[in-house]
Amino acid sequence: MIVALCLVMAFADPRFFRLQNLMIILQDASIFMVLAMGMTLVITGRGIDLSVGSVAALSAVIMAMLIKDAGVNVFLGMAVAILVGITCGLVNGFVVTKLRVPDLIATLSTDLVFRGFALVLAAGVVLSRFPDPLTWIGRGRIFETIPIAAVIGVIVIAVGFVLYRYTPLGRYAVAIGGNTEAAVLTGIDVHRHKIYQYMLLGGLAGLAGILLTGRLNAIQATAGMGLTLHTIAAVVVGGTSLFGGRGSMTGTLVGVLLLSMVVNALVMLRLDFFWQQVAAGLIIISSVAFYAALQDPGRGGLSGLFRRARGGRS
Amino acid sequence: MNQPSPSVRSDAPLLEMHSISKHFGGVMAVADVSLHLNAGEALAIVGDNGAGKSTLIKVLTGVHELDEGEIRMEGRPVSITNKRQSRQIGIEAVYQDLGLVDSLDAAGNVFLGHELKHRFLGLTFLDNARMATEAARVLKEQVGIELEDIHVATHHLSGGQRQAVAIARAIYATDLKILVMDEPTAALGAEETRNTLMLMQNLKQQGIALIVISHNLDHVFRIADRIMVMRSGRAVATLDRSTATKQDVLAHIVDAVETEAA
Repeated sequence: MIVALCLVMAFADPRFFRLQNLMIILQDASIFMVLAMGMTLVITGRGIDLSVGSVAALSAVIMAMLIKDAGVNVFLGMAVAILVGITCGLVNGFVVTKLRVPDLIATLSTDLVFRGFALVLAAGVVLSRFPDPLTWIGRGRIFETIPIAAVIGVIVIAVGFVLYRYTPLGRYAVAIGGNTEAAVLTGIDVHRHKIYQYMLLGGLAGLAGILLTGRLNAIQATAGMGLTLHTIAAVVVGGTSLFGGRGSMTGTLVGVLLLSMVVNALVMLRLDFFWQQVAAGLIIISSVAFYAALQDPGRGGLSGLFRRARGGRS
Repeated sequence: MNQPSPSVRSDAPLLEMHSISKHFGGVMAVADVSLHLNAGEALAIVGDNGAGKSTLIKVLTGVHELDEGEIRMEGRPVSITNKRQSRQIGIEAVYQDLGLVDSLDAAGNVFLGHELKHRFLGLTFLDNARMATEAARVLKEQVGIELEDIHVATHHLSGGQRQAVAIARAIYATDLKILVMDEPTAALGAEETRNTLMLMQNLKQQGIALIVISHNLDHVFRIADRIMVMRSGRAVATLDRSTATKQDVLAHIVDAVETEAA
């Protein structure tokens, strides 16, 4: 689909391929790379987190207030943002496992709670003008070209790739999502690992909050409203199953890039903003339908192809 | 390393279940059932639906806690109150759904929850390469099958291969002494059934005892040394394969023979 998009854009507007524009796409994608890595693990573990946007906002607001109002060191402020994110993740994990509230409802509710806290704390104020290290992370460029945020995003995805494939954290996410009963039987501590997944995603949401603040050089409590669904969409477009048990970090990277490219392309084509939404939705539907077709056992040719592809990859 | 010790010191049977009873509310699911099992022996449990077969083996595998009775392993009384305790003393069950994680490959399933790891830079990583080699070895040497591609997700394996993976996990995860199999051939084709029966013989020769629940008397007669018939929660007869006929077994199942007065 990326290839198809590139072809269309090559004819429609070659400026799409300018280095400058590609770097803008990467810059836009960076926050989603960070969020989507953790979201991939959570969804693979048959969970979902609808609160990441609010966690990012809350972490960013707390960090901003510490830096601006309390004069806290900027690095300490960033560390606090990530800690706030991890704590929110811990809350999510606790509600999901120990209180046994289904993931969807739990994080839908904590989304309101975290957003509410952010609104109360910020009290309608937009905090802006942050010290250099923060804006450097958010909008800085290496050699005036490569966005630092994108480098962070790619590193996060690379770490996620290793986590998914080479650590118990990733393996148990697959096991829990694929067959919870089997995971319990083999002695895997399901609750603990679900909490780990949510904490990781929470910490990454904190990092996303830092990137968001740095990029805009401003933050308000209503920031990051659209982050959550866009992230989930990218993960699903990347081939991770919403029913758990099957995920792909490389797929997630592709999904994030694809969605960012689409948004960018639509802007370049000067499509009305509202049409952009329509297009984004259609792309998500078509890619998920594509995966569904691939896995339909009734279609021997496609599933056979898929099997060979899967077999060859590992 | 996971071979059961060939010599049992005492002359006690590997497993004894004495006067086991289990009821759910007012329903007596298993009533006063006793059985014993030696290493390398296969005991089939047959009976109509609701005869108490599943409940009995679930008492053994720790799914249900027994209400009355005693279980001994190698002469020593053991307490089985959950699945992990059952595993720890060497009892594993392979149910019909097999309990595999479909999206993981054979090695991932065989080592699930017991992954081989190595440390690098102070961090713990999965040793996928060694797990793949080991899983292939266990599958080949102890279960007796070879997978074309050890890395393929178990979702894409045949029913028999999936069962083999589940059994390999049972062998590897514990010092396996008793393997409980619930309808091992029910979902398999002819060729696969033959492989599974061969595999079961193979396990017996390694000294692993089998408890097999099956509705298929042909298969029961090919694999079992003794056949226990259950009806209404009771063990109504235990027949020796070498002397019994299928008609005998059937007669007991449908209550066409004289049994002790109730």
